[in-house]
Amino acid sequence: MSAHPCADSYSHAITAAATTGLERHGHQVTALDLYDIDFPPAMTKDEHDAYKAKQPPPDPTVRAHGELVQQADTLVFVYPTWWSGPPAVLKGWLERVLVPGVAFTFDAKGKVEPALTNVKRVVGVSTYGSPWSYVKLVNDNGRRTLTRAFRLTCGRGTKTTWLGLYSIDTSGPNERTAFLDRVEHSMTHMK
Amino acid sequence: MNTLVVYCHPDPESFTAAVRDAVVESLTAGGHDVRVRDLYGEGFDPKFSAEERRTHLAPGPLKSVEAHAEELHWCRHLVLVYPTWWSGQPSMLKGWMDRVWVRGVAWELAPGGKRIKARLKNVRRITAVTTHGSSKWVNVLEGEGGKRTVTRSLRSVCHPLTRTDWLAMYGADASTAEQREAFLAAVRRKLGKVKR
Repeated sequence: MSAHPCADSYSHAITAAATTGLERHGHQVTALDLYDIDFPPAMTKDEHDAYKAKQPPPDPTVRAHGELVQQADTLVFVYPTWWSGPPAVLKGWLERVLVPGVAFTFDAKGKVEPALTNVKRVVGVSTYGSPWSYVKLVNDNGRRTLTRAFRLTCGRGTKTTWLGLYSIDTSGPNERTAFLDRVEHSMTHMK
Repeated sequence: MNTLVVYCHPDPESFTAAVRDAVVESLTAGGHDVRVRDLYGEGFDPKFSAEERRTHLAPGPLKSVEAHAEELHWCRHLVLVYPTWWSGQPSMLKGWMDRVWVRGVAWELAPGGKRIKARLKNVRRITAVTTHGSSKWVNVLEGEGGKRTVTRSLRSVCHPLTRTDWLAMYGADASTAEQREAFLAAVRRKLGKVKR
């Protein structure tokens, strides 16, 4: 999953590095570029009604994304952190695709039961304008959304991996290249 | 107090709409000058565009969101009313932050500077009023991302003494009519006490 508005962005270079590493390791990779496919970020009223009625989302693209998630062993999210979270388009993707019946179900008492036990690992790769210390101070909310809130809908043994490039606005070409190498290496050697 | 209420919910009949009404009524009764933004109602586009990305180091927002930026500079009290989804603000509200809280509006960066400067010194108070489908316990486990986004991330570009208030209803999915009524009453009581 990638979510950056410009196709020539550094974030896209990260996606390419991650894909290279994953394919080298023998994984079959399906890439979803949310800006490229012009994914509408906002949950609509119809979708909200369907959610409440525990019906599948009316949009076939959204349903197809749900099926992809249900087949995945690993989910990799690549995005720039803005206001301590993912861009609206990625946040909206979580809201619209990961609905009851896809990511979780409600039991008889209305308690949430995880449904994505197929997902063995959740990976996040993000760039931050702020330094590491500041990111920690504001709680790194995007990371927590994926490695905690989303992770809770996966299996008990699901692992998480987080790679961050901090202070990106003042980073030099060496740091950027080194980070791409780190992403590729990490994806190649991921168990 | 100049008060900007940013409301976000796709369903005009939702409980969040009732919460917004309670917020607006109590603040108006308290003599505040209240402006309401209904992001879904006005069809706000939450997607930060490639054009915005390319010009994001130039000060100022795009023409299409200038009115939002002006309101942000006008208000002294910012009130956000929304449901918490996936432990944070709905994408519609997140997109409002991504697109409106840009350089020249919310923050400034001196040429060659490393640290951004706060530009929303006019904002002295932020109140978030939200509902969580899940329990308080689950939200604590998930790290309360939405709460920290408001009380830490957004607050960081406001006045250093900005007060933040968090009015949240947990376990909304399983709530009874009495519990929802009690929450509305708590919201009225709390916002009715805000000083002019």
